[in-house]
Amino acid sequence: MSDLLEVEGLRVRLPTARGHVTIVDGIDYGVEAGEVFGIAGESGSGKTMSVLALMGLLPPGAVVEGRAVFAGRDLLRLPHRELRRVCGRELAMVFQDPMTSLHPMLSLGKQLTEHVRRHLGLGQRDAAERALELLREVRIPDPDRALNAFPHQFSGGMRQRIAIAGALACRPTLLIADEPTTALDVTVQAGIIRLLDRLRRESGLAIVLISHDLGVLSAIADRVAVFYAGRIVEGGGRLDVLSRPRHPYTRGLLDALPHPEAADSPLVAIPGTPPAPGLIPPGCAFHPRCPYALESCQELVPPLAPVNGRMLACPVDPLRG
Amino acid sequence: MSAVAHALTLEDVVVEYERRGVGPVRAVAGASLEVGRGQIVGLVGESGCGKSTLARAAVGMVAPVGGTIRFEGLEVRPLTRRARPPELARLQMVFQNPFSSLNPRRRVGEQLGEAMRTLGVVSRAQRAERIAQLLDQVGLSAGVARGYPHEFSGGQRQRIAIARALAARPSVIVLDEPLASLDASAQAQIANLLVVLARELELGLLLISHDLGIVRHVADTVAVMYLGQIVETAPTRELWATPLHPYSEALIGAVPRADGAGILPEALPGEVPDPSQPPPGCRFHTRCPYVFERCRSEEPPLVELAPERSAACWLQLQGEPPAPPAVKAERLARAVPAE
Repeated sequence: MSDLLEVEGLRVRLPTARGHVTIVDGIDYGVEAGEVFGIAGESGSGKTMSVLALMGLLPPGAVVEGRAVFAGRDLLRLPHRELRRVCGRELAMVFQDPMTSLHPMLSLGKQLTEHVRRHLGLGQRDAAERALELLREVRIPDPDRALNAFPHQFSGGMRQRIAIAGALACRPTLLIADEPTTALDVTVQAGIIRLLDRLRRESGLAIVLISHDLGVLSAIADRVAVFYAGRIVEGGGRLDVLSRPRHPYTRGLLDALPHPEAADSPLVAIPGTPPAPGLIPPGCAFHPRCPYALESCQELVPPLAPVNGRMLACPVDPLRG
Repeated sequence: MSAVAHALTLEDVVVEYERRGVGPVRAVAGASLEVGRGQIVGLVGESGCGKSTLARAAVGMVAPVGGTIRFEGLEVRPLTRRARPPELARLQMVFQNPFSSLNPRRRVGEQLGEAMRTLGVVSRAQRAERIAQLLDQVGLSAGVARGYPHEFSGGQRQRIAIARALAARPSVIVLDEPLASLDASAQAQIANLLVVLARELELGLLLISHDLGIVRHVADTVAVMYLGQIVETAPTRELWATPLHPYSEALIGAVPRADGAGILPEALPGEVPDPSQPPPGCRFHTRCPYVFERCRSEEPPLVELAPERSAACWLQLQGEPPAPPAVKAERLARAVPAE
């Protein structure tokens, strides 16, 4: 197995007033070194919880099952102290709101050096040198001056670059990016996408990129997994999944997007709304919204199975051929 | 075309915000726009370009320091504590977050009824029937009237907010990022609903959005805004086929396409400058790939280049046939040999 990260049977249940509710319901995937693995899906589909589980960042009371082997160690069974050592060093994360990971009261120099001093044990001078190098790497203009500046002095796009610099501080092998461009303008988003692509090409960084925007995933993901109601419904190579989708939900997501060649026809919206966690219908969770649903879809949970070159959780497979 | 009286007309609108320590910030620095009945006008631009401020000025929520705003011939004056003239109720607004514009503690039906009562548009006896009709118009069942806002999904809430705007029997609705907080499938549903409403009720819609894909699909004409000014207006299809302003071109090129082809979107260098200190000359010149001498000193006016097409760019001169910025720039480089 050459995978850098291998997730198997990942299940997450979160405590609510009505008992535990399943948010992630048996997820399997692998991420190779240097690849961008895209996770798509609507809000509430379990995208974020599935990666927070890997880093031990779930809310208290959460129950996690399965395996998540990262560079030979199962993250879900690592003692807390060891997990902390792995996260932030070999495994790093950036969020939709960069201020989640930036300290508002510390200068960039301070927060970027503290990180490498703590994790890598660098001295003051080496750490400052590394911080400068990081700011250059993410293309912050005038990095020498930026070291003494504070996060609020930068725009949203620059802050996201700084958050990425912080995540890269210890040269991780895997970066988890959760909707990193969602709060940004398209012009700025394009810059961040290009930055992530360059990092992957230049330093062999593997990236798990979560985005509800199939356009973003289409730009840089090598492989894409589509989440629905806590499960993967379709996964495979970018071109297969996005240009020849086989799951009715993937097809629906793509049809709901404005398409350059069909500007005159109305957008084809998926009827209904995604189910709330805890109220997931039996059988295939998508069947109440699926135009191809058969009676059997109401009872049998479709397994994710290989179908010429991709993984598909739809035994009906109405879009084949 | 001029026979179609424009329901909402903004002319040379200037809006300033006071900022402590620094001088006033010109969020909108002279912008003109027209929205006709049954017409969907998209207003796009990066955050901080002034599009939301312009939208708020259009309905009287902020007071412009210059220019005029007219709605069906009537001047739109800023809201005060006095009731505004009832004619202006036909100009409505819908916000990004329906949860903050709906009262969480009152049933949906009551909130729709309240709008009718305040405006006196429907007699009490007919209110229930009208509420059911409004909900039907936005694709909700009559039973929704008995529920509270929190019982509904984001998309349904936005439908309720639209129904409440419709309660006033408006002729124009200004929508500020109405789809931004919704998932893709809900976005598509609401976008389709807006088109149906515009056509069936002859509603004029001013749709402010940072999502160019949605605007492209829904709007009849588009205005592109940069740093407080409108830099290009065009029929939607023509704008996408041949953007005439370099900024429009950059915006369109930055949208990633979900076709699986793995093409990186084009990034626009630099950042939107501080609106309190706009660059001299053309406001876009600091980021423009085609910048030349004139752009740094002289501000280009928004001029009509073809029927329904205007742009504010020194590459596009009035009286010359418009062409893509790259073509114009190349011609210019050939005409003026480098020293």
